[in-house]
Amino acid sequence: MTRRLTTLKTVLWFLVGVLASVTVIRFAHGLGAVTNLSDAAPWGLWIGFDVMSGVALAAGGFVLAGIVYIFGLERYRPFVRAAILTALLGYALVAAGLLYDLGLPWRIWHPIFHWQWHSVLFEVAACVMLYLTVLVLEFLPVVLEHRFFQGEFFQRMVKVLKRFTIVLVIAGIILSTLHQSSLGSLFLITPYRLHPLWYSPIIYVLFFVSAVGLGLMTVVLESLFSNYFLGHKVHKREVSGLGLAASVLLWIYVVLRLGDLAFRGVLGMALDGTWQANLFVAEMALSAVIPAALMLYKPVRSSMTGVGVAASMVVGGMIWHRLNVSIVAFARPEGVGYFPSWEEFAVSFGLVAAGILVFLFFVENLNVFDDVKGHPPEEPPGYDPEAARSFLPGSLALPRRYSVAVLAGAVLALPFLPLSGVPPRPVPVQGPRSVEALILDRGEAEIRTLMFAGAAHLSPASVAGSVAPGTLQTARVLLLDGNRDGDVVLFHHDDHAERLGGDRSCETCHHLTKPLDQNTSCAECHRDMYEPMSVFHHGVHVERLGGNQGCVDCHTGETTVKSYETITECSDCHRNEIAQRAFVKAPPPRWGEAVGYMDAMHGLCVACHEREARMDPGQRPEGLDRCMTCHNVDWREDVQRLQPRPRSAEWVVGGTGSASRAAGQGGSMP
Amino acid sequence: MSFAILVDITRCIGCEECVLACKDENDLGPDRLRPGQEAVSGLSATRYSTILRYPNDHFVRHQCRHCLEPACVSACLVGAMQKTPEGAVVYDSSLCMGCRYCLVACPYGIPRYEWDEAAPLVQKCTLCHHRLVEGGVPACVEACPEDALLFGERDELLAEAHRRIAQNPGKYVDHVWGETEVGGTSVLYIADMSLGFLGWSDKLGETALPHLTWASLKKVPWMVVGMGSLMGGIYWVVNRRMKLAARAADGAPFHADPVPIDTDAAHFVTDEAPSDTDHPAAPAEERGTDHD
Repeated sequence: MTRRLTTLKTVLWFLVGVLASVTVIRFAHGLGAVTNLSDAAPWGLWIGFDVMSGVALAAGGFVLAGIVYIFGLERYRPFVRAAILTALLGYALVAAGLLYDLGLPWRIWHPIFHWQWHSVLFEVAACVMLYLTVLVLEFLPVVLEHRFFQGEFFQRMVKVLKRFTIVLVIAGIILSTLHQSSLGSLFLITPYRLHPLWYSPIIYVLFFVSAVGLGLMTVVLESLFSNYFLGHKVHKREVSGLGLAASVLLWIYVVLRLGDLAFRGVLGMALDGTWQANLFVAEMALSAVIPAALMLYKPVRSSMTGVGVAASMVVGGMIWHRLNVSIVAFARPEGVGYFPSWEEFAVSFGLVAAGILVFLFFVENLNVFDDVKGHPPEEPPGYDPEAARSFLPGSLALPRRYSVAVLAGAVLALPFLPLSGVPPRPVPVQGPRSVEALILDRGEAEIRTLMFAGAAHLSPASVAGSVAPGTLQTARVLLLDGNRDGDVVLFHHDDHAERLGGDRSCETCHHLTKPLDQNTSCAECHRDMYEPMSVFHHGVHVERLGGNQGCVDCHTGETTVKSYETITECSDCHRNEIAQRAFVKAPPPRWGEAVGYMDAMHGLCVACHEREARMDPGQRPEGLDRCMTCHNVDWREDVQRLQPRPRSAEWVVGGTGSASRAAGQGGSMP
Repeated sequence: MSFAILVDITRCIGCEECVLACKDENDLGPDRLRPGQEAVSGLSATRYSTILRYPNDHFVRHQCRHCLEPACVSACLVGAMQKTPEGAVVYDSSLCMGCRYCLVACPYGIPRYEWDEAAPLVQKCTLCHHRLVEGGVPACVEACPEDALLFGERDELLAEAHRRIAQNPGKYVDHVWGETEVGGTSVLYIADMSLGFLGWSDKLGETALPHLTWASLKKVPWMVVGMGSLMGGIYWVVNRRMKLAARAADGAPFHADPVPIDTDAAHFVTDEAPSDTDHPAAPAEERGTDHD
């Protein structure tokens, strides 16, 4: 075992360690804790890379199997086993990646029983499941060659499997053709979201052709890597042959893609200088045009460096293409971005690392590259004195080294993970602004009203005529998002401070606030607008029910104690007075409470207004059943405060809020 | 019978009674900022419908359109999304596996996901399907104090929409949003401004999106048959040629496994192995002579 292989494995094990930590948090706290996914970007790196690219990268399996078993090009046989193993691991990683990405991964088996023929994703799921099975059967004979499986049963199994080789290969080709193309078809349903340079009515053809070219180049790259890390022989002539075949397919891909753009008349978009156009040009150059051109030159094709560079470009470029289709060129609402979190990268890389480790395990223990019968690898289990000396001495040096790497990865990841789940975020609050307001003060008995002074028809001059002299003052007050709902209200800070006890009142709003809030929201104190409250007036009831005779109307039991605990529910008598649209639907069994102010008023007024308007339309004022009858700002000032929403454009401040509402509800000072 | 809602934007005053009624009816609880959300006022897993505010007192109600041929229904691979005969597009959380293809597919970007849950579900307006089956109307329609929402048979509502547009020629834009977009929707809008911003594109075509994917899906049986016969045929021809070549070479008995190919047999599949043309006389690799 070479030193560079030991180093590679150490790094891979470290990545697996990081993956382990992220996995725990992912499943304990959900997608939101570890990903940057959102409703605007429902599919991210795990779909774009692990699934889209993973499946495409594994295309080498069916392509090489087809070349060797169907087309009979035996000289490519040395690549077949490695290609099928890569495909098998690739698809296993796709399945593993899906377990991370699915919101409810324990239901991953649902497509087996719940069929929905019209879903492209169903076809993909069915094909991937079937193809994974086919790949296992295709690779099983290689596993059964191992000396552990020399028993008669296993050898008979090998014979049966080998007899069905061609059937399996053809099934694999059909299934791969279907789902490689269907991964593209997934986006046929998003014509308005996917950018026209990537959306295409023949996107499934493009996905298939590019996957075949990419599959060939993946096999090439894998062969070169196994030479670099494992010292396997490179079949140079075949590698350059694969490079040329890939070139042909990539040219077909380029022609199809550009031809389709031209046919749809959007080819011009590729050169109009937008970032999408530049992205498209760069992607096409890297993924297809440059490597395909390179592979046409024999000197480049014959040099393993040249083929390696071209293959790397295709692999990188095609991953980029899949990411572009599923993420980058996929429309999101304006201003909403998506970039994968480090945890998403950690899962993607960790899964790939795990895949490579399994690949290396198979390569070290089975005849993956040396497809010669009865020739198990003769290398002793990797003990490298040099590597061992450099770390912990002893025969378990390497396993120890890898265990430490896993542990280090897992531990180092922990401080960066949201161990307690998604951190709550403060609800955004519009910043307060100081504005000019009118205060209508008609003495102690009346409710003081705050009005926004910006409105033309509420200037001091225009209002002055309709109110008593001296009752109208101007003052600077705050315009604030009191209830954190994006609506601003007028808020008289000094008045609140005065009523709450002067300088010592600050803490009422500014100290005992909820976490992540700067100060207490209005509704924390002004609950009576919405919440039920205890307003039962015993005296009134006694009088109305005829004095002491009336006791038993409510306190029904003859011998029971006449107390609150034994009282008849209010709703038993006041059944028809419950607000129709009350927020509190089902009163608690013993409710001695009245509904909230708003519900009470709506319940009392609205029903009658609507009835009158309906029964007597000609006689009643127009729009009697409309909100504006009571909530109209043009009405008397004392009902203006009920006004719920802005009425005119100049009252809208800050783009989202309404000052008129401010002049109403929030501004009325109790 | 297929029910629908007609939204008259000119009548909406933005009081959000419908939003509150919806939250109450569906027991959605208080709004909170979900991952990726910047304000609580948009659609979210706790807000099936919301009011978008636009200049000049325009309030646009945003909710699931309950398309006649919904993209989400055709996208869902386990059939968790269904279009009911009443017109509602409903979601069966017991089938959902959380792939979120419905979020990707929706032309209006409606479905929402509970990103911060360990066992998240998709959330969207159900047109109060549970009320419809009992003969009721959706909670939002019931709550609207301004009659900005009308509920009824889709055909009748379309007629009413066109009647209103015809009666007030200057008032409305002459278009009923949802009449033809993506094959028609069960939530219709009339307005005095363009509502193109409600979808992913200003101009959603009239093609129902499921037709786009079906164009590719319906080819699947032919692909299976075609690819199967093509590959089987090629194998048969190649195998027979190799068998004959091997027999001619040394009279060896027929071998069930593919035997090494020679240059004679390779010339008719040059597409797949173009390098053969570069080395027409290259001998077979020594490993290639091993029978598997």
